[in-house]
Amino acid sequence: MPSSTVENYLKAIYIGTNSLEPPQRLLPMGQLASALNVTPGTATTMVKTLAESGLVEYEPYAGVALTQAGQKLAALVTRRHRLIELFLVQVMGYSWDEVHDEAEQLEHSVSDRLVDRMDAMLGRPEADPHGDPIPNAEGLVKPQKVQTLLTCPLDTTLTVTRVIDQDKDFLRFIEQHNLKPGEAISVEERDPAADSVRVRGGNDRRLTIGTRAASKVLVQAVHLILIVLSAAPVFAQQTSTRAREQPRTALSGYMDFHFNNPEFSDAQLDFHRFVLLVTHSFSERIRFVGELELEHALVEGLEEKGELELEQAYVDFLLSRSFNVRAGMMLMPIGIINERHEPPVFYGVERPFNDTVIIPTTWFEVGAGVHGEVGRGWRYRAFVVAPLDAGEFNAEEGIREGRQKGAEANIGRAAVTGRLEYVAIRGLTLGVSGWTGRSGFQFRPLFDVPVSLAEVDGRYSRDRIELRGQVSQVWLDNAGRLNDALALRVGVNPNIASALRGFYGEGGYRLISGASLGDVGAFVRYENFDTQFRMPAGYVGLPEFDRDAWVVGATYWPDPDVAVKFDYSIVRNRSTVIQAPNSLNVGLGWWF
Amino acid sequence: MRYRVTSIALLVGSVFLVALVGPAHVASGFAREGARQAVQVVEISAERFSFNPSEIRVKAGTPLDIRLSSEDTMHGFHILGTDIDVELPKRGRGVTSVMFQPGPGRYTFECSRLCGAGHSFMRGVIIVTE
Repeated sequence: MPSSTVENYLKAIYIGTNSLEPPQRLLPMGQLASALNVTPGTATTMVKTLAESGLVEYEPYAGVALTQAGQKLAALVTRRHRLIELFLVQVMGYSWDEVHDEAEQLEHSVSDRLVDRMDAMLGRPEADPHGDPIPNAEGLVKPQKVQTLLTCPLDTTLTVTRVIDQDKDFLRFIEQHNLKPGEAISVEERDPAADSVRVRGGNDRRLTIGTRAASKVLVQAVHLILIVLSAAPVFAQQTSTRAREQPRTALSGYMDFHFNNPEFSDAQLDFHRFVLLVTHSFSERIRFVGELELEHALVEGLEEKGELELEQAYVDFLLSRSFNVRAGMMLMPIGIINERHEPPVFYGVERPFNDTVIIPTTWFEVGAGVHGEVGRGWRYRAFVVAPLDAGEFNAEEGIREGRQKGAEANIGRAAVTGRLEYVAIRGLTLGVSGWTGRSGFQFRPLFDVPVSLAEVDGRYSRDRIELRGQVSQVWLDNAGRLNDALALRVGVNPNIASALRGFYGEGGYRLISGASLGDVGAFVRYENFDTQFRMPAGYVGLPEFDRDAWVVGATYWPDPDVAVKFDYSIVRNRSTVIQAPNSLNVGLGWWF
Repeated sequence: MRYRVTSIALLVGSVFLVALVGPAHVASGFAREGARQAVQVVEISAERFSFNPSEIRVKAGTPLDIRLSSEDTMHGFHILGTDIDVELPKRGRGVTSVMFQPGPGRYTFECSRLCGAGHSFMRGVIIVTE
């Protein structure tokens, strides 16, 4: 049987390592020595001995962690300590601020049999009087969602679950101010300048405490039960509790409100997007997703103002992780923005130029296909969809106006699109995608307009940094004949290119991250895009369509789902006659 | 035409080159984690629209301590066929921990809170081997 000193060391390492923030794994020796009230030299000597016994893993100058054997022993000592504390309070009438020292003595001498009897008598409790979790007889602990009064959401009713300081005076302070485990409270305000936190308890009583004390009071959302422990080997034996019932139908959305001030014209205020998403689960395996978008706020008669668009309306048959079937109106899996366009997730008020005139986001179409993920982070999607309508292409915005948008879409010859993504490295997404289809159905059988698009992109996002880059190119066959046909129809040759190309690179950095008032990030993006990159034989590309842009700006997130954005975009083209306008943009976007 | 084929080949090739380097990096970190703990701790980050890592391997009998955090909005974590279904708070607002000790088999997990246009792509698997 281990000595009491060994047990005290193991317990201190156990409690210390449990309080570390991931990814830190090793408990610094200074912290251990302080917890045990010994000198660092004494602690190091003992830890080396424990390492030789196989109970701990010791890395000089780094710290100490428990091995599997040490973990089990430490958990059982902790179990004895916490059960004794609860027994002393509930059965023997001790106060919660006087049981720690008694338990320190008794934890080394009581037998397992006695502890098990106490456990049964107390009704197999999960926490001691201070809210500390009691390991079970196997040494396993039900995990708790840990939030302190410094990190919990403001103005939300929470339950005190734990007090992580056994000091008698502190425990009396907690008791006097009704902050014991089980009390319902909410945090009204945090004042970093004064190192204080204002708490509202029952009967609307207010209390202001220091941040040090606040850091020792752990709370949990009232509605959330995050204790999930299953028993092997089958689910029927689980003791877990479902945290909450999922609503079968859920509503979400995002909105985007812009101020645009371009050169050479008046400024505009534009409620750019009002998008509602609705999802309904028929079962775990059959799910509907719909997205209805109102662009530019107003749809009225035949005037060219806003658009009301059904951007997504599909049913997913989720058969397995690796193979699923989708049918309906869906987003083309092309590029970074088209499928991931909620305002708080990208820098800049407007979407990149590349994602407007080369890749026509938001690009959605009716069709069906498959998607899934295989192995360690390989994802694919492959869809058969309605093609573009080449009769609507133009020189300035390329293929954008050719989207049929599922409105009685011609599907004489279907297009195919697909994407392969690699997401196995944390923070990194690499993708390659393509689209190909015969888009000249207005001109068949005289000629057709095969269109292909290829794209590759990368995005890296970790902690404060976000980097992204994208290259895309579009090819149009028979562009010359398309120009001739459209010139006959409208009287003006549209000068459509045989190839469009664009690329951009962007770097963003969160200057402020994790602050109570929110995050602030700055970014810079360089874009190059040419909607007349290659011209058909006999045509000359106009230099005004060969453009590049620098966009610099910042985003303030008062909440992770709310973004206040501003940027300035400097756009240049190769024309000596027609100037591209620079623009100052301010935006407010949110997701709920 | 030759120009087009060359361009596509270069684009695809560059993605695969980076991807080939990736798995070794991820796998080695995972093995170290499992070797020294009775409870296998796995940290999963969630962001629109993926979990990372999305494939977790564990030996039957080893409890899995899954620690989840979000890089952006609120997500959910639901292991299909089980009662395990928890909310992950928004970025910077805490880590959610789930203990899971299943028998041998494959367990698909998914995001259970509507998080955006690609919500249905947020899936992963826990593979429990004998």
